[in-house]
Amino acid sequence: MNTKNILSYGVFFAILIILPFFLNSDWVSVMTTFLIYSVVSLSQDIVLGRAGMFDMGHAIFFGLGAYSTAILNMVYGWPILATVPIAIILPIIASILLAAPIIHLRGDYLLVTTIGFNIVFTQALKNNVFGITGGPNGIFGVEPLKILGFTFSSQLSIYYLAFFILLLTLVVIHNLETSKPGRALHYLNLDSLASECIGINTRFYRLYAFGLSAALAGLAGVVFTLQFSAVSPDAFNFIQSVLFFTIVLVGGPSSIPGVLLGTFFMFVVPEMFRQFAEARYLVFGVAMILIMIWRPKGIWPVKFGRIPNYLTKE
Amino acid sequence: MEIFFQQLVNGLTIGSIYALVALGYTMVYGVLKLINFAHGDLVALSAYIGLVIIMQLMGALSPTVLIIITFIATMIITAIGGVILERAAYRPLRKAPRLSAVVSALGASLIIENGIMLIWGPMPKIFPASVIPNANYSLHGVYISLMQVLVLIISLILMVALYLFVNRTKLGTAMRACAIDQDAARLMGINVDKVIVTTFVIGSALGAVGGLFIGMYYRGIYFNMGWIYGLNAFVAAIIGGIGNIPGAMLGGMLLGIFNAFIAGYVSSSWSLALTYVLLIVIMIFRPTGILGERVAEKV
Repeated sequence: MNTKNILSYGVFFAILIILPFFLNSDWVSVMTTFLIYSVVSLSQDIVLGRAGMFDMGHAIFFGLGAYSTAILNMVYGWPILATVPIAIILPIIASILLAAPIIHLRGDYLLVTTIGFNIVFTQALKNNVFGITGGPNGIFGVEPLKILGFTFSSQLSIYYLAFFILLLTLVVIHNLETSKPGRALHYLNLDSLASECIGINTRFYRLYAFGLSAALAGLAGVVFTLQFSAVSPDAFNFIQSVLFFTIVLVGGPSSIPGVLLGTFFMFVVPEMFRQFAEARYLVFGVAMILIMIWRPKGIWPVKFGRIPNYLTKE
Repeated sequence: MEIFFQQLVNGLTIGSIYALVALGYTMVYGVLKLINFAHGDLVALSAYIGLVIIMQLMGALSPTVLIIITFIATMIITAIGGVILERAAYRPLRKAPRLSAVVSALGASLIIENGIMLIWGPMPKIFPASVIPNANYSLHGVYISLMQVLVLIISLILMVALYLFVNRTKLGTAMRACAIDQDAARLMGINVDKVIVTTFVIGSALGAVGGLFIGMYYRGIYFNMGWIYGLNAFVAAIIGGIGNIPGAMLGGMLLGIFNAFIAGYVSSSWSLALTYVLLIVIMIFRPTGILGERVAEKV
């Protein structure tokens, strides 16, 4: 992190902190969802951008976190704070169990299998599996979070909670970037065979990427449940996974500002044009194609340190 | 036993439709190594185009002529759509990272889906009942409708024609060459762009037939049906071995029969989930599909 980076992140955080005081309640709600989706997209980016695995089922882990909190609270009466560890651990276990048999698959095959997982997941939720998921309508009336007597019930408190989770995610990702696992992921993304030859256990680190991203997505799921006090299967269907997948690629894989910008572009901008109803998605499709044609590496592509140009050229 | 044969007939009918749509996926994947996410929406579009043609011409022409004209016109219009899609969304990204083309495909899919919705509205449209006479034949207690016979026969003819085209003609040979190695094919004097355009023309035209069958067989069509039919057909293509043309036909048939038996014997609410469980099982144990050959590349 150089001074310029610290300064720009500082400005970005300052804007996010004062932003809710200038917005009406609808927009605070949109921005809260933006923060949550940013966390999910950043976690998707760990698998897709950094580890280079085409995961199009990320909404599963987001949904598992959200549903864990909702079910433990509504069915078993746990306080929300106690459900948080479960909502993180359960997605990790699920991601490792799901990814382990398919981790060796080549790009498109992995993509298709994760789509399959996601559709099975949503169908299971809709069919009210074990009688606790609430069927197609989901679960309503989840309690607010209480920490040391403070209740996170107002819109503003949820906004700052989501902001805190985003900060936490950025710290985790910053640590990942500057640590052994992060470098390992980078190498195996560039060339999995070569990285294996220099002693990187590619299988382990691929599962590591899945586990870490599932944990972050699960945590985001908790806040998502708290924001709406409800969960429903359609919030975690495969179309949502496509959204997170697209956010990362449109923004710029393994680029933090890129992913944040991508989330803004793919989620907040459509909300701005709500009065155009469904026509906006048509324009959106055009924009997605044009962005990919003009900036195939995303709006804000990542730059890697001081690597000379002749080395990064293909 | 009658239920068994009845579900088999139903399964083969749905399976033929899946197979027709799956061919579009598998041919494009074979040549471009790209999942054409917009193909399903192109299929949905073709159903709407077919409906417009039928509504315009119904009554003016005899049923047989009407059906032939509808099929041919829809195939041509959808094929043009496929060519435009390739030109606008895929060709500029031929040299870009592979995932960029995936995003572009998703964008194209959004455009077509919401385009359909803007033109024809979000409510489902219903095909008129009288396009295909509602005749039923009974064979030892198993009912088969004229529509099902038509679906089976037309699909069979198209698939045999495609098989002959790919294996017996010069352009078909060029297509197979491009699927194996585009650069080498170019060195042999094959016009790769022309082959890719041909692939999209054939894939889209076959998808158009699939879309018309969906409209005429299920009658109800809706603007976002492309996703679900497209994904099912894509699963069919994978079951058979993606990139493999006979594989897509076999995969479509198998998936159709599988779906019909699940709906008949287990429960229809789990049918979609079990389709994807089947997909996952195949991806774990035989990712190359039933007819896919092992390639040197590590899968």
